[in-house]
Amino acid sequence: MELLINIFVNGLATGMLIFLLAAGLTLIFGLMDVLNFAHGGLFVWGAFAAVWTYTATDSFMLAILGALLTGVVLGFVTEKLIIAPVYGNHVQQILITLGFMLVLTEMIKVVFGPNQLAAGVPSYLAGSFEIGDVILIKYRLFIIVTGFVVFALIQFILKRTKIGLIVRAGVLNKDMVQALGIHIKKVFLYTFIAGAALAAFGGALMAPYSGVVYAEMGLEFGILAFIVVVIGGMGSLPGSLFAAILVGLAGSFMAYYVPDLSLAVNMILMAIVLIFRPQGLFAARG
Amino acid sequence: MAKALSLHNGVYLIIALALIIFPFVTESRTWTILLTQIFIFAILAMSYDLLLGYTGIVSFGHAMFFGIGAYSTGIFLKSFEPTLLYFILSIACGMVLAAIVSFFVGILTLRLKSHYFAMLTLALSGLFLVAAEKWRTLTYGNDGFTFRAPEIFQDRLVFYLVALGCLLASFVFLKRFVSSPMGRVLISLRENESRTASLGFKTLHYKVIASVAAGVIASLAGSLYAISLRFVNTSVMTMDITLDALLMTIIGGVGTLIGPILGAGVIELAQHYLSGLARENPIFERWIILFGILYILAVIFFPRGIAGGIQSLYLKLRGKKVGVHRSLKKRVVKS
Repeated sequence: MELLINIFVNGLATGMLIFLLAAGLTLIFGLMDVLNFAHGGLFVWGAFAAVWTYTATDSFMLAILGALLTGVVLGFVTEKLIIAPVYGNHVQQILITLGFMLVLTEMIKVVFGPNQLAAGVPSYLAGSFEIGDVILIKYRLFIIVTGFVVFALIQFILKRTKIGLIVRAGVLNKDMVQALGIHIKKVFLYTFIAGAALAAFGGALMAPYSGVVYAEMGLEFGILAFIVVVIGGMGSLPGSLFAAILVGLAGSFMAYYVPDLSLAVNMILMAIVLIFRPQGLFAARG
Repeated sequence: MAKALSLHNGVYLIIALALIIFPFVTESRTWTILLTQIFIFAILAMSYDLLLGYTGIVSFGHAMFFGIGAYSTGIFLKSFEPTLLYFILSIACGMVLAAIVSFFVGILTLRLKSHYFAMLTLALSGLFLVAAEKWRTLTYGNDGFTFRAPEIFQDRLVFYLVALGCLLASFVFLKRFVSSPMGRVLISLRENESRTASLGFKTLHYKVIASVAAGVIASLAGSLYAISLRFVNTSVMTMDITLDALLMTIIGGVGTLIGPILGAGVIELAQHYLSGLARENPIFERWIILFGILYILAVIFFPRGIAGGIQSLYLKLRGKKVGVHRSLKKRVVKS
């Protein structure tokens, strides 16, 4: 029983990290119709910025702030330089963001050095709770709670605020939103920055969880986030949450019971969903 | 036009002859090996160009076919005798396997829209990578295995000529392929898929045929690559191979066939020289940044790459207008 709980908590924590990454991606895709393959690059920049700040200042809060700032700056630059020239053309978006992903990954090696960095857990989140025989690692619980809080926050912003209304309307029909006098390109830019900041935030939380950060993890997690968005349905936030948890749990259970398949399980999940329900499990639109 | 075409062919013929003579006039072993490598990747990049440049589909799973070819050759030559016969058999076997796989993958994936297609091919090639990793009795996983190449390839010069021969054969085949009525339909698919469908063409059939042809040629490149290293491991199935093909195609020029060859040359040469320079200044170790930036600039400003640039320059000099791919043209957001 305690084993099952451990595997479950582990999977849920991984799922939440993927969700943070996928949430930005799903907003960007849903609203802006942009395929951002560089998203993993923003994630890894967040992770490195957080680790760097944490080693320099020894403050976890500052580390997260540093990651968010990095995300905002990179998001702004990416939208202006990389995404803006290729709105409305999927093939070009795939090609250019993939190229930018390469640049971001290599830039990490230039700025922070080619080796992986060790990341520490702040003392108040280190250790674990013991309830009977069940050992719950504090940091994992922290990630799970944060994940749900972020989900609730985004849902609140989307459903209850004016900004959210504009974004949701933009997902459905951006021409109409534009016609009503809203500067849709500005909304695009802010959404992209928000998505990038979310990715960087995910990276910042990821670093203490995995213990080390390395430049190539951007591509790995970027692919995972895409898998989640595809399974959940492009543009659907609850879909992304569901799919992220599904992917996280499937990964951790498979890693324990059928380790040979654990590498393939996400790919298999996505292949099945795409073949039988190409629009994803919770599609926002038709 | 006919005159211009024959001029083109003349230039190609001269370059091909120069390449055939080249190893006989220089003694440089490095150059022979480097050029062989370029030829092999040029074959891969050309096959990718058939998909990206002519049919207008972005596949992230091209490494799958390259890997099938490499593993077929590696496993054949390891389990049987390393003779020329088995080498040819292994190429044929790799091509047949690649054709079967690309046929089924194509049927499954090509119905989907561009981004879903890209993701699904990525997933499927990921599955192949995992299979190669896990099926250790056959592939020896990430450690890979070495094998003996046929005796005749011990001489680097012979292998150089074989690789060049394969490159020329693939080039001629693909050139014929894209100028055939079949190839014209592919180009019309790239330009406007729904219009092609409404003209009565079964678009899926054509796309599947294109992906089978591209897969078979990628498998040939994989077989040659395995021979050139005399070693195979899972790296032949990784995303890096697909990325290489993508970079070469985009930088060289999509939809030109000659472009990917140029792209392969530029990238392999630069990789060779820049990693040589890395000993003097570590910044050159990160040469991929240069390519990433070049690639991004190419996508935004020169969607037709080196070859397209030369072509439009040439046509401009002769006062003709050039068309740009619809799929690669800059389009602003509708407002």
